[in-house]
Amino acid sequence: MIQINNLNFAYPRQSALFSNLSVGLEGGSITGLLGKNGAGKTSLLKLLSGLLYPQSGNINVLAHDPAKRQVSFLSDVFLVPEEFSFPPISISDYLKAYSSFYPRFDSSLMNNTLNEFDLKPDNNLSRLSHGQKKKFLIAFALATRCRLLVLDEPTNGLDIPSKLLFRRILAGSLTEDQLVIISTHQVKDVENLIDKILILDNGKVIFQKTILEISQRVSFISGTSADSEKAIYSEAVPGGYRMMVPNGHDETEVDIELLFNAITKGNKID
Amino acid sequence: METNYIFSFSRFIQLCKQSFIIHKKLIGITLAGFSGFVFLFLMLVQIKNYASWNNNSYMFTFLVMFFIGGTIYSSLSFPAFRTKEKSISYLMLPSSVTEKYIFEFFARIVLFIIIMPFVFWIMANIAGIIMHHYIPEFINYRFSFSKTMSSFAFQKGNTGWTNLAIIQAWLFVFIAAFTGASHFSKSPLVKTLFTLSLIAIGYALFTYLLVRGINIKGYTLDNDRLLFMHNKNQAMIFFALAATATNLCLLAIAWFRLKEREV
Repeated sequence: MIQINNLNFAYPRQSALFSNLSVGLEGGSITGLLGKNGAGKTSLLKLLSGLLYPQSGNINVLAHDPAKRQVSFLSDVFLVPEEFSFPPISISDYLKAYSSFYPRFDSSLMNNTLNEFDLKPDNNLSRLSHGQKKKFLIAFALATRCRLLVLDEPTNGLDIPSKLLFRRILAGSLTEDQLVIISTHQVKDVENLIDKILILDNGKVIFQKTILEISQRVSFISGTSADSEKAIYSEAVPGGYRMMVPNGHDETEVDIELLFNAITKGNKID
Repeated sequence: METNYIFSFSRFIQLCKQSFIIHKKLIGITLAGFSGFVFLFLMLVQIKNYASWNNNSYMFTFLVMFFIGGTIYSSLSFPAFRTKEKSISYLMLPSSVTEKYIFEFFARIVLFIIIMPFVFWIMANIAGIIMHHYIPEFINYRFSFSKTMSSFAFQKGNTGWTNLAIIQAWLFVFIAAFTGASHFSKSPLVKTLFTLSLIAIGYALFTYLLVRGINIKGYTLDNDRLLFMHNKNQAMIFFALAATATNLCLLAIAWFRLKEREV
């Protein structure tokens, strides 16, 4: 679904952000794009959406060159940016104005999600809080049924119940041909949701594995002392230590935060 | 490439509907505000000048409002480009560059040229009738475009080239503002005026230095040695073609700015 080959990109008068970046992603998954601040997560999402142009290299998304912004590409890709703005109209007017541009728009899914998020069709978008606006945008993104959904920090601004709801709705409303890329630095918010992890660091993909592959290779355990010989990586937490250890027998839930810290500090789990 | 990728009439209509749903209140307020402004302005100037007021006075007022209003309105083209968030939403909308471009050109220039004279004509006649009701001595209160057209731009002796030159010169103002709005994100009108001023000053300076540098002051060229523009008509042809080419270039720049916009 997405194939990036030898991508080079730099902002004007800045050093290169991506040098010979290559990565491929297939449909039917929710991929977490993780990275420190300034790692290039948002820039990569914009390159995938055709909002930025690479200096060289190839980007192929749904058999399109995103930079051409062809209608068939735009009607199958939806970007939920971190910051957004809405016209001062009601939700129902917004749906009338925009839904017809998406051939697979699912009105019943839209209505159900609006109900779940406690949003009414006559709510004026300009009078909603930032969190409510974000919930509406996420609901609209899901209802478009676009094959590629790009969510940049989707849980920023959501309250705790809304974050839980977001995870549940997202997991329950996707079809097998859809790919969702979630960029976030709040890794706890996407735990139990993503099935693939991609970590960006210094403009390079330093880690790309499915949750299954990770849990087959390592376990995440707690202990009162760090077993330095056994642990690949450990971190002091209140009351003891969290450790990433080579997998023995039991598969444990992947601690994405610990994994992220381990990988960005140079540890490998191959 | 399929034609549908470039332009689809049904998508264009969708774009028009979308814009109308979003901007219907703003359109209503703008039309009401402009109508009110024209009405009040005409009433005020007519109270002072009713004795000398005639159709040409209406036409002069119209032309001033038409150019100032049109320039400001054209400079508000591509409103999504004023902020990063709106730009993302606009560029990601599933509609082709050509559809978005034609819509913007249509909404900002063509519709203005059609609607503004109509609104002015209605408000001018309403204001005139009311004024005449209270001041019966005010006799030239009716406004007609056709009456004054002959005394302004389209004089009877004008050739087609002269008319084209006049139309293109008028359009240049709007198209320059339109192109500036596609290029500059913040304060597009001010920046466009500044850029055009710089070009004009640069050209004048270049001409001055050329004249001084090669000392051609007082040099007159025989008419038969000129390659073109031997008379007024040929000068008009040159001016009309140059203005048309300039406008087409500006429109092309606006199209490429939209097509290659990055956020």
